[in-house]
Amino acid sequence: MLGHNARRPAVDKLMEDAYPGAQASAIARARAESLVLEYQVKLARYLRRMVADAEVALDLTQDVFLSAFRMLQADPQRELTAGWLYRAATNAAISFLRRKKVLRMLPLDREVDRPSATLRTWGVDERSAASVDLQIALAHLPPQQSAALLLTSYVGYSSAEAAEILGTTSDAIRQRVCRAMRVLRATMSEEK
Amino acid sequence: MTMHCDCARAEMLAGAIALGETDEAQRDSYRNHLATCAGCRNDLGGEREIERVMATARQARDSERWEPVLRPAHMRTPERRSTWRWAAALAAAAALIVGFRAIDKPTIGTAPASQASVSSAQVARAVAALNTQTAPRRENQAESLSFASTRSGTLTLALSLDARGMPKQCTVTKSSGNRVLDRAVCRAAIKTASSRQSASP
Repeated sequence: MLGHNARRPAVDKLMEDAYPGAQASAIARARAESLVLEYQVKLARYLRRMVADAEVALDLTQDVFLSAFRMLQADPQRELTAGWLYRAATNAAISFLRRKKVLRMLPLDREVDRPSATLRTWGVDERSAASVDLQIALAHLPPQQSAALLLTSYVGYSSAEAAEILGTTSDAIRQRVCRAMRVLRATMSEEK
Repeated sequence: MTMHCDCARAEMLAGAIALGETDEAQRDSYRNHLATCAGCRNDLGGEREIERVMATARQARDSERWEPVLRPAHMRTPERRSTWRWAAALAAAAALIVGFRAIDKPTIGTAPASQASVSSAQVARAVAALNTQTAPRRENQAESLSFASTRSGTLTLALSLDARGMPKQCTVTKSSGNRVLDRAVCRAAIKTASSRQSASP
């Protein structure tokens, strides 16, 4: 685990991008910085699972923070919860996946047939069978199901909290989790 | 699978069990449904099976070793690892010249010196035009092609291919005047050409 100090230079530069000319108020700056320090790893990991690409995940994480910073710049007292960040991250991932689909016009599962070739792009640790299983399952799932599964079992939200983030009901989340679980189960048993 | 009304409810129960959000009555109700519904029994499994499957997600989370550090926006050029294997022996190379144009795409008010990005579809099309005999082209991934640059420009580059059509080297013969952009387009060209090549049989 990198210490906070090791991350500080990157945070400073990110802040400069968000607040060119360093006009940010001290409060906004401090709040933005603590957001990054607390959530950059969590959000990036979540996003990497969503988009199956470490580099894209980094870019999207950065986008989420930049939009958070802009909101803080407009109103330094504005409350920005973890739920807000995850919602923004989910939306960013879903719109990325949509764009990518249009661009590539190839179903994602074409790659899933050859997981070894794509593990590196995914940035998934191939030594962990669970990690690979999860990522293969996610590649087969609609983004809304992926998000429901990840926000609950991976990030740790309850179905009610995940429902609020995704703008739906707890029952819908449970149903999505169940459907995602079915795919995950199929992924796991195929390997035996 | 056709979804019976009870099965739809069983799905929600299974999801709730998966998330540890059930009471004993709900678990009983799930067991009762499984006892009468072979479809759900095979498809979802009992509580123990649900627990086993869900443990995967937790294990995946616990095995994460990735410690990302964000880059500032103006350093967004992705340093991507290559996803293709280099040909062990490179044979005669054919040099090809393509012109690329980068289009301006303003990014949301954050860039210190204004940003541009290269259209991945354009690079992909240009690379595809290099060699039309090879069949299905794999579109390059958009995500690899977000570049920082100070302005748009046109550049000329030479892409050397080996006998198998794998890209060997990319040289900028006429710069766009922006080194970052040059490098990025080169990398995109190599990536597109190689992924197209490895995608074709």
